[in-house]
Amino acid sequence: MYYRIIMRRDVYQAIADPTRRQIIAVLAGKSLTLNNVADSFGISRQAVSKHIKILTECGLVAVTDKGRERHCQATLQPLHEVAEWINHYRQFYEAQLDSLENYLATLQTKNKKHGKRKK
Amino acid sequence: MANEKNSATADRELLVTRVLNAPRTLVWEVWTNPDHIKNWWGPNGFTNTIYSMDFRPGGKWDYVMHGPDGTDYKNKSTFIEIVKPEKIVMVHDSGPKFTATIRFEEQGPGKTFISWHMLFDTAEEFIRTVKTFKADEGLQQNIVKLDQYLQNLKQ
Repeated sequence: MYYRIIMRRDVYQAIADPTRRQIIAVLAGKSLTLNNVADSFGISRQAVSKHIKILTECGLVAVTDKGRERHCQATLQPLHEVAEWINHYRQFYEAQLDSLENYLATLQTKNKKHGKRKK
Repeated sequence: MANEKNSATADRELLVTRVLNAPRTLVWEVWTNPDHIKNWWGPNGFTNTIYSMDFRPGGKWDYVMHGPDGTDYKNKSTFIEIVKPEKIVMVHDSGPKFTATIRFEEQGPGKTFISWHMLFDTAEEFIRTVKTFKADEGLQQNIVKLDQYLQNLKQ
């Protein structure tokens, strides 16, 4: 048996960079042209292009050419994957609270029994 | 809690809450007494060895969590702020760096609202942690599966 290793960008690379997170946030509100994005961030068109390219490869942004302009639109579906990771991590702490809850219940049952014996 | 949960930190924090069926004095006691905390810390099935728990601001807490599959998780934390019986703030020093704020609020007779807030230093660290966490768990599940498989082979 052998495995085929597929090199691909994942959504974490997209959101690991603060500028890219901001770009997603802005595009989630409204679609913008590449030039609009560059203007609103005060960074070069070249730098924006690089970020948008990565975001596109991660599936978080879709670019459509309309005439001479490139329109960028956020496609937020892949972020659900992140929400799932976080939710899974949350389960660990929920489970810890379950454990605390059980322990408190056991302690209080013991105390009640102890109290009855005293009577 | 409004001052702890805001949009600026939304991408690097986690909040879990629960209403516990116990008076606040008891909840505080089982949280702050090493003889109690070793019995419940971690999800069900975990046990703990506490090497030291210096429960005062600046005090260190050094312990190991033993997972149900025998994996040990070493932990080192420092208590930052203690307001008896309302609030504990501590910093996790080992592994992912985060600040945990645990609040205890009386809620009716014999009930305590506990909120557990984790704030990671950076969003990158948070993402890395949640990602690694699942990866680790997947690995553990694989080990369990392998173990079951070997058990079946023996029979």
